[in-house]
Amino acid sequence: MNDEKAKKIEQLEAEMARLWEESQNETDIKKKQKLIAKRNTLQRKYVAIRYNRKISRETKKDLVAYSFIAPNFIGFAVFTLIPIVFAFILAFTEWDGNNPIQFVGVSNFAQLPGDTFFVAALKNTIIYCIGTVPLTMIVSLALAIVLNQKVKGRGFFRTISFFPYVASLVAITTVWSMIFHPTKGPFNYLLMAVFGVDQKSLPNWFSGSLVMLTLILFSVWKYMGYYMVIYLAGLQGISAELYEAGSLDGATTWQKFRYITWPQLRSTTFFVVVMLTINCFKVYDIAIMLAGGSDGNLSNSASVLVYYIYQNAFDYWKLGYASAVAMVLFVLVLVVTLIQFAYEKKLEA
Amino acid sequence: MKRRALSMLLVASMAGTLLAGCGGDSKDAGADANADGGADNAAVAGDAAAGTEAAGGADAGAADAGAADGEAVTLKWAIWDQETTPYWGALKDAYEAKNPNVTIEMVDLGSADYMTVLATELSGSDTDFDVVTIKDVPGYATLVQKNTLESLDSYIADAGINLADFNGVTDQVTVDGSLYELPFRSDYWLVFYNKDVFDAAGVAYPTNDMTMEDYDALARQLTDTTYGSQVYGCHYHTWRSAVELFGTLDGQHSVLDGTYEWMAPYYDMILSEEDDGVCQSYTDLSTEGLHYSAAFSNGNVAMLNMGSWFIATLIANIDSGEYDSALCGNWGIASYPHPEGGEAGSTIATITGLSVTSASQHKDQAFDFVNFVSGDEGATIMAGTGNFPAKMTDNVIDIISGMAGFPTDESSKEALNITNAYLEVPYAENVSEINSVLDTYHTAIMNREVTVEEGIASMNEEVGKILGN
Repeated sequence: MNDEKAKKIEQLEAEMARLWEESQNETDIKKKQKLIAKRNTLQRKYVAIRYNRKISRETKKDLVAYSFIAPNFIGFAVFTLIPIVFAFILAFTEWDGNNPIQFVGVSNFAQLPGDTFFVAALKNTIIYCIGTVPLTMIVSLALAIVLNQKVKGRGFFRTISFFPYVASLVAITTVWSMIFHPTKGPFNYLLMAVFGVDQKSLPNWFSGSLVMLTLILFSVWKYMGYYMVIYLAGLQGISAELYEAGSLDGATTWQKFRYITWPQLRSTTFFVVVMLTINCFKVYDIAIMLAGGSDGNLSNSASVLVYYIYQNAFDYWKLGYASAVAMVLFVLVLVVTLIQFAYEKKLEA
Repeated sequence: MKRRALSMLLVASMAGTLLAGCGGDSKDAGADANADGGADNAAVAGDAAAGTEAAGGADAGAADAGAADGEAVTLKWAIWDQETTPYWGALKDAYEAKNPNVTIEMVDLGSADYMTVLATELSGSDTDFDVVTIKDVPGYATLVQKNTLESLDSYIADAGINLADFNGVTDQVTVDGSLYELPFRSDYWLVFYNKDVFDAAGVAYPTNDMTMEDYDALARQLTDTTYGSQVYGCHYHTWRSAVELFGTLDGQHSVLDGTYEWMAPYYDMILSEEDDGVCQSYTDLSTEGLHYSAAFSNGNVAMLNMGSWFIATLIANIDSGEYDSALCGNWGIASYPHPEGGEAGSTIATITGLSVTSASQHKDQAFDFVNFVSGDEGATIMAGTGNFPAKMTDNVIDIISGMAGFPTDESSKEALNITNAYLEVPYAENVSEINSVLDTYHTAIMNREVTVEEGIASMNEEVGKILGN
């Protein structure tokens, strides 16, 4: 037993010496690094055998780290990772949850372009994102800048702006549908009494062409407070010396914003835009609550992708087709996010 | 050493429990169940788990299988709104009194998305429900296609049930010649009217042979658009059935047709009523989420077309004081209005049925319960709570019209007699999808996002795609 060990150690030592020499003579830096890495691996093995360690110190370190990650990762794998992988597979099948799964190739995806309801949902989701993301960003940045000044009652106004984000969705959608009620709402009454809009042509905020506008405005109002807080944190991270230097150079307020605040906030803006985009594509609750009526059905003017996924999966039990729509949503979010990352990288360089 | 022994014991007993659990799934394990009493078997299962013998698992599996007479059986029954619906408990109690060995365990899945929740519960290969209530036909279609329900044909034949007793509605839910549910409750649409509103306007009460024109004219006659004291001649709930199904009363059409031009006159009629303030607008109602009962109990709606389930609700809520009896206490019912050429007394109907799950371990006992509920005894209990059993007899009409709180005039009692009942939604393979498509364009038409013609053209096109598949 011991002989064998001694022999192995000898072998390893020789091999290590050879690699060392080789690496010393190597001129190409990349090859040299490779040789050194190889030698390090052997070294670890050598140490393990020499000092009778069953697992090397590095493996031990790794194991400790993994054991800390494990509780979270196991939960993630069981409840997120496996279902996601399963959904990928399902997108190429027909399945109702009970009968055997049938593989149908890409036929689910081939049906999508001809599906009126899918196209309507996709269009609405994209309109919603294009409307919501820039608007929320601008409004929350403006709010953050205003509430970053030393004004009286700043804490109070900060709280007020944050309130819609904390308030229950059900409660505030009810309030909105009362305020914007087509015939009995104070907002339309104002339009009629002050702006002289004819009673018959009062806008209908929860259906037809206006419903997406209502959804966008609602979502901007609800989420601006949250992103304002993120922007506030970003603003407080900007050194006051920069503004001082700008003042000495005679920069106007706009120039200070353009050349100091905005570039300094770049990473904050990036985070805000990415989070907003992802959240916007996932919109469902707001649409159901504001435009779903009493039965929670969305017509083509307000249908969104997540709603259509739900409808296919749990009303029609076409789990394969629902997964295909989900894949479209996934790819959409992925592509937009990748573009944002690429743009951010370009700015950084 | 001691600790190691302890942990080994733990592991062993856990493995045993696991085996016992697996054994419970195998269906053939029930072969020897009838030999021993159920309680004995349970004890065997307990021993087996502790002893961790491999064979123990198989024995344990036998514990709950088999449903021979006299053996204690628990049936798990899916229902909704247990608190507010009196007949669930009444049916359970009556059946348990008759069959002391059977315990019915009710599971309330809520009414809002009952069929979706139920379909999710029955997904996969395993469920512990024995009897499930079927709320609507689209949900029934889903469950049948998912192979989660047991075909009742052989049970029906063995029990000698005469399906003709159900007035033909069972034909409309037969799937490829097989029936998977037995209806125990059937509702049909009626016109509820507020006598005080008619009296105030000095207009005679609606009769039981109204045509659509009569109905429209009557509604307009009763309408008062004075701001602040509006009276609406009629009220349509936001459901599609409340509007477009007038078109099916001639017996020529159904929502499964694929072409829907026959709905146009009714959309035109109701949209024009909205314009003239005869009824509240769909847009307002859906924004507010106003329930039809709230609209009727406000006392400013003259007529409401609604299903017969509203009778029990009205009686109970006026009695409890939830609805102000000064506003809506003086109500009556009339037969559904019929189109020119249709027969008076024709109406649309819905059924509620019971099914046995294919995963049930006690199918015979479960069917016995289904048979009890949908049979004569169940019918009497249903009628006693003011609800309409699927097996309608004169006796049932007497019970319902004799209830305290039911209108005392002859005409209202007479309105309960119907001539033809057309199901809101008959069975078809893609009925869920067709329903959703029609709902979508119903919303679009009623919100005036599209014209009636455009909406119907889209219905034709999209349902055509589904039927073409």
